Amino acid sequence: MTSATAPAELDRAQARSREAGTGRSAATATSILVLPGVLWLAAFFLVPLGIMAVVSLGAVDPGGHVTLAHPGLHNYTHALDPEFLPALGRSIYYAITTTVLSLAIGYPVAYWISRYGGRRKILLLILVMLPFWTSYLIRTYAWMAILRDNGVINSLLLDVGLIDQPIPILNTDLSVILGMTYGFLPYAILPLFVSIDRLDFSLVQAARDLYASGRGAFLHVTLPLTMPGLVAAGLLTFIPALGDYVTPDVLGGAQTTTIANLIQVIFTTGRDWPYGSALGFLLMGVTIVGTLIALRSLRREVIGASA
Amino acid sequence: MTERNLPGMSFNEALEEKLTQANWSRREFLGRVAAFGAAAALTQLLVACGQGTASPSAAPTTQATPLGSTTAAATATPAPTPVPTPEKELFVYNWDQYIGEETVKKFQDKYGIKVTYDNFADEAAQIGKINSDKKGGGYDVHYPASTWVASFVTDGLIRPIDHSLIPNFKNLSAAWQNPAYDPGNAYSVPNYWWTTGYAWDPRDVPGSPTSWNELWNPARKGQMSMLDDIRECFAVGAFLLGFSPNTKDLGELDKILQKLEVQKPLLRKYTATAQIDDMIDEVVQMAHCWSGDWVQMTYTKPRMKYVIPSEGSIKGNDVMVISSGAPHPIAAHLWIDFNLDADISAENTNYIGYMGPNEAALPKIEDYIKGDKRLNPPQSVLDELIELEYLAPADLSNYTDRWNALRA
Amino acid sequence: MSGRPSRWLTALTIATYVILFAPIVVLIVFSFNSARRGFTWAGFTLDWYPKLFNNADMLGALRVTLEVAAIAVVGATILGSLLGLGLARLRFRGSGAAQTLLLLPIMTPEIIMGISLLVFFSQLFGLNGSIGQIAIAHIMFCISYVAITVRARAVSLDPRLEEAARDLGASAVGAFRHVTLPLLAPAVAAGAMLAFALSFDDLVVTSFNTGVGATTLPVQIYSAIRFGVTPQINAISTIIVAVVSIALLVAWRLGAFRTAARAVVADPEVA
Repeated sequence: MTSATAPAELDRAQARSREAGTGRSAATATSILVLPGVLWLAAFFLVPLGIMAVVSLGAVDPGGHVTLAHPGLHNYTHALDPEFLPALGRSIYYAITTTVLSLAIGYPVAYWISRYGGRRKILLLILVMLPFWTSYLIRTYAWMAILRDNGVINSLLLDVGLIDQPIPILNTDLSVILGMTYGFLPYAILPLFVSIDRLDFSLVQAARDLYASGRGAFLHVTLPLTMPGLVAAGLLTFIPALGDYVTPDVLGGAQTTTIANLIQVIFTTGRDWPYGSALGFLLMGVTIVGTLIALRSLRREVIGASA
Repeated sequence: MTERNLPGMSFNEALEEKLTQANWSRREFLGRVAAFGAAAALTQLLVACGQGTASPSAAPTTQATPLGSTTAAATATPAPTPVPTPEKELFVYNWDQYIGEETVKKFQDKYGIKVTYDNFADEAAQIGKINSDKKGGGYDVHYPASTWVASFVTDGLIRPIDHSLIPNFKNLSAAWQNPAYDPGNAYSVPNYWWTTGYAWDPRDVPGSPTSWNELWNPARKGQMSMLDDIRECFAVGAFLLGFSPNTKDLGELDKILQKLEVQKPLLRKYTATAQIDDMIDEVVQMAHCWSGDWVQMTYTKPRMKYVIPSEGSIKGNDVMVISSGAPHPIAAHLWIDFNLDADISAENTNYIGYMGPNEAALPKIEDYIKGDKRLNPPQSVLDELIELEYLAPADLSNYTDRWNALRA
Repeated sequence: MSGRPSRWLTALTIATYVILFAPIVVLIVFSFNSARRGFTWAGFTLDWYPKLFNNADMLGALRVTLEVAAIAVVGATILGSLLGLGLARLRFRGSGAAQTLLLLPIMTPEIIMGISLLVFFSQLFGLNGSIGQIAIAHIMFCISYVAITVRARAVSLDPRLEEAARDLGASAVGAFRHVTLPLLAPAVAAGAMLAFALSFDDLVVTSFNTGVGATTLPVQIYSAIRFGVTPQINAISTIIVAVVSIALLVAWRLGAFRTAARAVVADPEVA
């Protein structure tokens, strides 16, 4: 098959395959493929979540227990407090920055591994994951040892004479973003690799011949064809980053509070499950809406690349 | 109401009889009692109601049926005559390392009971576990803060303690026997107590600070930390403004919030776990912390100092309780008795740096702990310290809202 | 082959690996720190390693963590891969809802997910936590990661390959086994690796599902904060890294990666 006609034919074949997926055998296929996972999620995620949704309509009685005596949306109206906006804004800022950085770093690395890794591709991928098979806490403590005023970075810069005073990196926005990007990098690299690895590099070569510039080839061929990977990596980075409270807590400071941290406090020392649940559901609502909007606009811009 | 063959319950049986006579349902009764709000009366009556609401399911057949009397006997021997046969296992749920290094092993060697000693990371997990099945989450012994005892009793989460099985109870100093939150120690035995204050590094902080105001000093911007705990932070503000740390007054809470808002830009972080390492690693010069945290700091950096500020501070203690669903109640009693032993209690204190209420253990406690006025303040100082009382959810939510406004 | 990489691309890749391993190097170095806690160097000692081997709690927690991770990886990889492939391939009523369902666990704040499971298991089933309960929870939140990763690969699969196999006489299952699965293998492997990392390090959700004698390493480590993150924790992390590295080295020497890479590289479309 020639490179020029392959994409168009591929699209038609995929559309045909999807159309065919409506008959009897397709129904069986659907059941085998989709049902087990969906049922598991329904049983062990939706049902428990439903319980919390019910809890979010309740209140706490004087004894400290959740009571559904007067269910209502009072927790939601309570949670729609403008006081939360700075923390929410900060969370969104951290999540977006982390995602952009993770994709910006992850894409080239995934590309390198896929294109030039050769025999050692799998090994290189495992090496990406290896640091994350240790304890999160101790990794974060190690980061503190690196970033603090008397830590590795500052000591080095001071010794070399590049600075006179230590640069305050730890317990700032910067350390939070660095820590979060570090933590989410593998969740970006792996899905990106998976998608880039599918890329037919002869297509890229042909595009270079046509565009006579690496940038054009990248923008018009590589990027669109690896869009599914980018979307997956983006989702797996942005969404959890929005809910991450541990990293901002440990690497952050008094001024870097996130909405996830506040939700945490409401559940623990605040002892208010209904209120905490309501705030959590509001956060989820914001995330779902934002994600769906982003996905839909992405789909419109890059036709047919993401299913 | 369930029939339970428990010793020495004549007072409660009589009370229950009275309730039936007065034709009051338990709920009605609780409602009226809550209206009174008198602490002593409340806990007394809650204990009584706890008897009736205790869950009847999974009550083990090996009940505590002592042959001796229930009063703290005058006998000198630590082992009661004859002890009912303990079970082969014991499940304990406690903070990590909140016990002497050899304690578990010594208990296992002495009684031949296999101990499963599990830890949790924070109070939320602990309380969640105790509440999860309404009878202790499968564990025998828990170590909650004392402020939880009353509600645990109401909810039937813990069972009464058979004092005939814990003769070492007499080792406790009189001040700790019969506390307000649990009269007669019917349900709990005090474990360790602590104070709240702040630690500082004498290399950076000159002189001897004694006031909470030092944590508001702009010269120390970015070098201080406060506890990530709503009640503890608000307590500091309250002390500085002359209010009670248990205040429910909205006006006072607003003033405390203002005070804390002035402080926030000067702080490096709010944390309940990193203060020890931050001081050791010299990330901060001054840290709002608990007395035990300071002891841990000194193990690595002996120069660190601690103060209980003059405006007032908090004291607290935790307790040992037995789950109402405890699978091994006799072993649980033996565990408590073992930890009340003078030698073992001293070993625990010496290892973890927290003082206990155990008077008999005093001679064996290391001087650097018991001689230190900050870890072991004289009674006059202790009497000044205030305990954080349980706040009803409606009141607590006023704190929470202001905390969120502060932190966001 | 495919030409030589540009210098800055290689430099960036190397720099990324350096950054990925920087904290690991630090934690390994500090596993020999003679101070009881803190990352302030106080002197060299090997004591923490023998202490670790005597620490039944820590080792027990490691064993539980590995058991849970093994179950979770197998379960999540199977369920997630099938789900990802199905969502990419098939169009059925409710596929949109299924896709949203996939995203929901990732969006849920962990404390809500943890507490919801606590209530679910204890109130509805009277369960008090166990390895099985933790594993069920882990499979649940790992499915999304595996499914999304596999789907990203599956959407660009050419169904004509499978059609061709069917035309040549293969059964549906056969075509799946010999055509689709090998093409999906890298995505499945990537999903499995993600799932393992997620399960191994999970704290919040797990802490609400632990039970008597069923505590995982992250919970155990976090519970140690109050009294000291002693270098024992560095030691156990060092040992994990060492064991995995040695296993990788052995596998590499045995040529495991060469065969796997061939499956990835030998793409019928490129050939």
